[in-house]
Amino acid sequence: MSNPPDPQKVEGEKEKELIARAQKGDRAAFAALVRAHQNEVYTLARRLVGDPHLASDVTQEALIRAWRALPRFRGDAQLSTWLHRITVNTAWTQKKRAKRHAGPSIDELTELPAPMGPDHPEAAGETLELRDRLRTALDHLPEGQRQVVIMKDVYGWSHAEIAESMEISVTAAKVRLHRARARLAKDLEEAS
Amino acid sequence: MSLLCEISAPFVANSAVDESEVVRPLRFHTGSCLRCQARHAAMSKTARELHAMSAERSEAPANMEWRVLSSLEGDLAVARSWRTPIAVVAAVVSMTAAVLIWRLRPRTS
Repeated sequence: MSNPPDPQKVEGEKEKELIARAQKGDRAAFAALVRAHQNEVYTLARRLVGDPHLASDVTQEALIRAWRALPRFRGDAQLSTWLHRITVNTAWTQKKRAKRHAGPSIDELTELPAPMGPDHPEAAGETLELRDRLRTALDHLPEGQRQVVIMKDVYGWSHAEIAESMEISVTAAKVRLHRARARLAKDLEEAS
Repeated sequence: MSLLCEISAPFVANSAVDESEVVRPLRFHTGSCLRCQARHAAMSKTARELHAMSAERSEAPANMEWRVLSSLEGDLAVARSWRTPIAVVAAVVSMTAAVLIWRLRPRTS
């Protein structure tokens, strides 16, 4: 299954040019980068924190942090990967802050809305059904387990990257992932 | 369902996602157990779906760009508000230093 391309997406050389201009303080260039990446940052934030309002705040904060850190971006990684790291760190900080001031639990997750675009006519009904069950199962994982599965199995981060962003050891990240996958498999089996 | 199936379940799930072999002590069982093989196949499919989710996009709130850029305005306003006092202090410090250096210079005669 593939999604329609993001209409605001900028690629390759154009993105490099925008980054270079934004690094020199050009806010119009940064605005173009925001337009190009805000949906993917929001999607990741939504997956990590669940609550849509909190995800909006995480997205805003992550993009502001990105602006401040942009002069130090050397282009070793892709901008989207770099933004993912900032988003994960921001989500982590915001969740801790939200827990301190919490009223109702933000772990009561709402389902991530369906992806943009047409209704994916090419997708088999079975696959869509699995995707729905998978989203529900992910939402029911404990927060720490959900985050490692999202980072590793959705976005392909290494154990070391996960450990660093979650401030845990590599072994702890591996153990958490092992447990998360086992629970995911069990939940999916029970739901089917 | 045997006890071995239950013991194997987490290892089967992980090996399916990592596309690796199940740990050696359980390999004989999982290699011949239809239930474990079905679980492996189901989790492989799940892994593919998880990976495919990376291409999904949810739409950020419509005012996100405005929210971000207006926050940057705030940043710049704070930076600007500090600019003049910093310049004045820097000038005063430079002048004081110049005067001190001149007054304390070694005199040869």
